[in-house]
Amino acid sequence: MSRVRLIETTLLVLIGLLLAAATINDVVRQAHVNQRLIADLSTWRRYTGHDYVNISIDQETLGADSGREILCGNTSPGPPGARTQVCLEIWGPVVTGVRSVYGGWYLPPYTEDLHAKRYGCFGAAIAAGLCPSPPGRLPSSGRPAGRAHGSVQPGSGP
Amino acid sequence: MDVAVGATVPARPGSAGVGKTDSAARRWQAPAAIVCALVMVAATVEIVLDASLEHSPLVPLQPSIATWLRALGGERLGYRVFLIALLAFTLAYGVLLALVNAHARARTRARAADDHDASPTGVAPTAEPGTIADRGVLGERTLIRWAIGLVALLNLLVFIGPILLSTDVFSYIAYARMGVVHGIDPYTNGPTAIVHDPVFRYVGHDWLTVATAYGPVYTLISYPLGLIGVVGAVWGMKVYALIASAVTLMLTWRVARRRGHDRVFALLAVGGNPLYVIYGLGGAHNDLIMLALMMGAVALTLADREASAGAAVVAGALVKATVAVMLPFMVLARRRLTPVLGALAALIAGGIAGYLAFGIHGIDVVSALNRDSAFVSIDSFPNELAHLVGKPGVFPVDHDLLKAALVLILVHLAYRTWRGYDWVAASGWALLAISVTSTWLLAWYILWPLPLAVVTRDRRLLAATLFVQGLFVIHQTAPLLVPVK
Repeated sequence: MSRVRLIETTLLVLIGLLLAAATINDVVRQAHVNQRLIADLSTWRRYTGHDYVNISIDQETLGADSGREILCGNTSPGPPGARTQVCLEIWGPVVTGVRSVYGGWYLPPYTEDLHAKRYGCFGAAIAAGLCPSPPGRLPSSGRPAGRAHGSVQPGSGP
Repeated sequence: MDVAVGATVPARPGSAGVGKTDSAARRWQAPAAIVCALVMVAATVEIVLDASLEHSPLVPLQPSIATWLRALGGERLGYRVFLIALLAFTLAYGVLLALVNAHARARTRARAADDHDASPTGVAPTAEPGTIADRGVLGERTLIRWAIGLVALLNLLVFIGPILLSTDVFSYIAYARMGVVHGIDPYTNGPTAIVHDPVFRYVGHDWLTVATAYGPVYTLISYPLGLIGVVGAVWGMKVYALIASAVTLMLTWRVARRRGHDRVFALLAVGGNPLYVIYGLGGAHNDLIMLALMMGAVALTLADREASAGAAVVAGALVKATVAVMLPFMVLARRRLTPVLGALAALIAGGIAGYLAFGIHGIDVVSALNRDSAFVSIDSFPNELAHLVGKPGVFPVDHDLLKAALVLILVHLAYRTWRGYDWVAASGWALLAISVTSTWLLAWYILWPLPLAVVTRDRRLLAATLFVQGLFVIHQTAPLLVPVK
């Protein structure tokens, strides 16, 4: 094996090891994120009292890799996004399978979670200016059908 | 797969143990290869049938194009079933390649030994049962038939099913319909310009406002499909992908033979590749058209049609710009201007056609590349490396560092090619380096170097390509470890 080829091969092996380590690390990291998302879904279901399957999870709006998520789902039975949706801001440690809800807002049916479409902000979402409309204005269907469960309340901390 | 089964290799003096070992190994090679092929087919069937039921996070929302498959049963395609099928496919593919490689080596050894055994008078001894046949030489035709049949079956299974894992094909159709139905330039507008068009609801959310990044040649060949409705266009895109795949595989076969490599191994390594079948063909990606033109360039070079080869590279780049990276290595290796002249002629012809059809934006592939290179996907290696060192993701400075690293690699490859290194291998390394250093990595991007890797003598390229693909597959498995429901 020529000297150049030997150096190349050595570098390739080192790069391969680095990429393998990064990949394994990321799989483990993603598994931990998934555990957190499972807790988020449980939190949304307990908070609203709806055991729905189609709940969207937004990991970007409150900061990618911040550990803070926004979960949106229907306030009454129907196809995904076909009813008034309630979105909850969730973060903090997982305690007995759930995390804390710090705030949220509502969305009209068939509407994506865009700033201009939000209304009825509550909790931390008001202070953060995440709604364009005056705070406290609720949809005709009222607050989420469920109720706060344990420590999981609008604006509550861990 | 036909590898001599059940017979005994006559021992050469001093090699009795080796002969018995080879024979025993060969006895289970054929059944093992058949099991691998069955696993690959079963995994593909499972994915296609489940995907035909309804859309899911893995199956994009799409018009009903494979409803008849629903009668065959299955359940909505979820992460668990998909990932198990993908892992099984990948494992079977790896074992099959190892078996075919071992068979090819045994055949090469057998031929060498038979040459050695030729009598001093120059007359080869008569082939006896239990000698050449045992080494697999007489089973070559059967092996070829099995390999072609397996690859054709995998391609067709995916062809008849729904679009898998990506909404890209609906972006292609949206751009085509923007141009031919609505008279809107796809190079300056995103699909939001046609919100009332029936294809709009199928376009991926991230791409609604994004103008096309594809070259004018691809946009022009996609335009006719814009006229035949969304369902017709989806089938048209699938036909394009299938034809491009067939051309790529045929050219890979021919180039492998011309360069003295095992054709069956080359065919299976590309056509049986899980990412090629499930992601590439499954999503009807236009990367397959680029691959066909790329392999066309290699085949034309081998036929000493260098101007045409240069033109083929440019044609590929006018589909998807990445393949242009081949051209410098081709020119450096041939040390002639002919490929450059061919490339220039094609560039002028394509540029004029693109300019006439789309104006200046239609030929400005550089700005499209710059725009896309700023995107970050969760599967990209730079993103994974950022997480490894504790960063939340890729920062703008990282893009500059990655570009600098890529330039260094390309310069080294250019130097090596100038000093005699195989330009096809250098092109493969360059494409692999682009995909690994890109912050926007998708499964079908790591297919780019594969057809080149199987026709080069430097086996490190194939090993590296398959290794990177393996890491990509492993990276998909997190939902299998902790499923989110």
